[in-house]
Amino acid sequence: MAAAAHDAGHQTSLGVDNRKLLMWIFLASECLFFGTLISTYLIFKGQSLVGPFPGDILDIPLTSTSTFVLLMSSVTMVLAVYGAQHGRLGLMRGMLVATILLGTTFLGFQVYEFRHFGHVGLNLGTNQFGATFFLMTGFHGVHVGVGVLYLTSLLLGSMRRSGLGKERALWVDTAGLYWHFVDVVWIVIFTIVYLIPE
Amino acid sequence: MATAVGTLSHTEDRSRIWEWMTTVDHKKIAALYGVTGFIFFLIGGIEATLVRTQLAVPNGNVIDADLFNQLFTTHALTMIFLAIMPMGASFFNYLIPLQIGARDVAFPRLNALGYWTYLTGAVMLTSSFFLGGAPNGGWFAYAPLTSLEYAAGKNLDFYTVSLLILGVSSLMGSLNFAVTIINMRAPGMTMMRLPVYMWMTLVVSFLLILSLPIITVALVQLYFDRNFGTNFFTPDTGGDPILWQHIFWLFGHPEVYVLILPSMGIVSEVLPVMSRKPLFGYSAIVFAGAAIGVLGFAVWSHHMFTTGLGTVPQIVFSASTMAIGIPTGIKIFNWLGTMYGGNIRFTTATYFSVAFIFLFTIGGISGVMHASPAVDGQHQDSYFVVAHIHYVLFGGAIMGIFSGIFYWFPKMTGRFLDETSGKWTFWLLFVGMNLTFFPMHFLGLAGMPRRIYTYDEGLGWETWNLVATVGVYVIIVGVSIFIVNFFRTMRQPQTAGDNPWDAATLEWATSSPPPEHNFDVVPEVHDRDPLWYNRDHGIAPAAKPEHLHIHLPPPSYMPLVVAMGVALLGIGGLSHVAVAVLGVAVVVYGIWGWALEPTE
Amino acid sequence: MSHEASAGHGHEEHPPTTIRQYVLIGIILAVITALELVVSYYPPGSLEIPLLLGLSAVKFGIVAALFMHLKFEHKIMTRMFLIGIVLAASLMIAIFALFTHDDTDNRVLPDREAITTEAGGH
Repeated sequence: MAAAAHDAGHQTSLGVDNRKLLMWIFLASECLFFGTLISTYLIFKGQSLVGPFPGDILDIPLTSTSTFVLLMSSVTMVLAVYGAQHGRLGLMRGMLVATILLGTTFLGFQVYEFRHFGHVGLNLGTNQFGATFFLMTGFHGVHVGVGVLYLTSLLLGSMRRSGLGKERALWVDTAGLYWHFVDVVWIVIFTIVYLIPE
Repeated sequence: MATAVGTLSHTEDRSRIWEWMTTVDHKKIAALYGVTGFIFFLIGGIEATLVRTQLAVPNGNVIDADLFNQLFTTHALTMIFLAIMPMGASFFNYLIPLQIGARDVAFPRLNALGYWTYLTGAVMLTSSFFLGGAPNGGWFAYAPLTSLEYAAGKNLDFYTVSLLILGVSSLMGSLNFAVTIINMRAPGMTMMRLPVYMWMTLVVSFLLILSLPIITVALVQLYFDRNFGTNFFTPDTGGDPILWQHIFWLFGHPEVYVLILPSMGIVSEVLPVMSRKPLFGYSAIVFAGAAIGVLGFAVWSHHMFTTGLGTVPQIVFSASTMAIGIPTGIKIFNWLGTMYGGNIRFTTATYFSVAFIFLFTIGGISGVMHASPAVDGQHQDSYFVVAHIHYVLFGGAIMGIFSGIFYWFPKMTGRFLDETSGKWTFWLLFVGMNLTFFPMHFLGLAGMPRRIYTYDEGLGWETWNLVATVGVYVIIVGVSIFIVNFFRTMRQPQTAGDNPWDAATLEWATSSPPPEHNFDVVPEVHDRDPLWYNRDHGIAPAAKPEHLHIHLPPPSYMPLVVAMGVALLGIGGLSHVAVAVLGVAVVVYGIWGWALEPTE
Repeated sequence: MSHEASAGHGHEEHPPTTIRQYVLIGIILAVITALELVVSYYPPGSLEIPLLLGLSAVKFGIVAALFMHLKFEHKIMTRMFLIGIVLAASLMIAIFALFTHDDTDNRVLPDREAITTEAGGH
């Protein structure tokens, strides 16, 4: 989501930055994207004709751990933004690294979970649970992956001699919005898929 | 690419083409959108002509059933996604910065990426004719007709992949337009001083931003059903064909307003200027437009009355659908109120705008008829519905677009399109359009189903089918005259002047065609009709400063790189996963180059 | 609050939160998650689903308001995001109601147990 820096950006109608506004409107759009995926999951909940059924294979302690990991990545992310805003570059880089690692750990959990489900016989085509579960959590995983790439780009950019330039805080802040959004989507998915019983 | 540029430039040397390929100027991107959109309008027209020629007489044998299915499907897809929406995007691109008094859109490179992605999707969709067969399941591709069982072959994969790509393109465009209108307005240009066209653009942008993700999910699910063995829409392991209808129309109905609202905006610009009166009931028109946008998300199930929704949903969706008649009616009365008592100039643009009101009202009324589930049950899948949507989309959207072309052509090129020939175009389109589509009301009520490739004699459908087909050829003559008019006008000298219509909005404050930076001095706005306010209060335009230091974003080829990545991603989705991986790599490379590119 | 923040400071503006406060918010979020697990393992009857949805909504709100700084931003950001959330939530409820109350609840579904035994599944 790199966006063009533009001269007129300094004198906007509302005094807010175009890129940040773009990110918020994009996130509104993403609400509908995940809303549709979650709707599909809910509509097909309990409509699977053959197993494995969610109650049989969902591992709540495992996923609670990965949920905790993602939640903590939001804390490190917001500290990275704090570092960028207060000119504490060491804090910013360190927290970016932490966020990237936590995000990657979450993805690791997800890969493990998907593989495990495959071993016990749940695939995309097995039943409605498989189709909706893999599509929804898979797309969320893709978003986490994109976020990891996004933050890695910022980290590498901040290592250059010119750093992230004078708009450093804005770049990290906008990336942070995306990252937190992916986190809150997981909050909803975790509740709906794992915590609410079949 | 070359054709899009070639029609505009006489010298086709490399650097000129490169200039167009790397441009981030919203006016040039608008030209690219406009010309490409018009070419696809012609392609969609050819498809329609073949369909109508096949249906001219009973038991026709111009084309076979399979090709017929491909043609009516791609006709709809081409007209909706490759012609009307891009022609709308062309006006948006051109007019947003000019009407709100900005130098460019908020994200010039994102804008260019939107165009190149659109071109990618458009070429992909159209090329399917030569790569094994075009989509053939109707534009709304109802399950389970789209399942592998009933639609082997790549036809519907072309549908999903190209619509996904076109969706990405529209999303980028809409995000950009929304941010620009909200945040880049000239000093004094409050939201309630925005030209109505800008309001309609904003509503359309939000409709797309909020509805495209829905269809994205549906298309991905369909793609997974066909390629990865899921059963979202096939009942084999508990899937549900009705789910596709719900998700599709959750997007599909807002999409209808995406097609019509821009033309409503154009009419709201043309009529006040041509009637030499301020728009009647500005706030009412703005709120009506926003209300149409909101209600557009609350009516989708009226496309599904015959699926057995149950009593309560039928009543709810019937009521919400009828409610849309209220804001639409408000708009129609406001346009009439604008013209009432005005000193009207009957230019070609006026003709098209007045025809818009008339024809759109017919389409709107047949639309309200469908709001009643009982009546809808009789109309469903008959030619009556075909008549309805063409009155809304041809009588509405296309008439509005032609009005806009004739109205803004002097601003865009500095030249007037020939009025005499323009009126010929108008009358031929008007007569041809009614000849083609009005008989379809009768055909539908006489029981002719849509999407049949032929019919027997003796069903009472012969006469009106023949009349409808004759109408298509009348339309072709009208469009051909317009094309000749366009090329002849482009050879004339630029004589239009800054504000030939004595119009009120900011785009007429700058030269025709506008300089690359749009305004020498960013205008200050004091009123809803800024130029009329300045005229009546004797405010002279700000003097041109001696030294202009205006920073414009430099051209960039990175949008083109990213669009190529998206193209590879799409081709990968249709062939081998390795190509898709390569596509992702190119996209990432392109975005990196984009971020590191100097913009100062 | 947004007015004070945006006036004068220009690019230097940032929300008035310290590292300690951010960490504290993180701990609160973790505690709520633990609470959710408790509710999930020891369900309080019919209150379970509303309680779980309510707790996750609280987490959602905390992250959006404090981590994403919506509380300190120009109102336009909140409005834009709310459009997406409200529309997504209403459409989800509507389509869910259409499918359950008036559709699948009245449909004759194949007998799941019978099919399960037939296919020899789990």
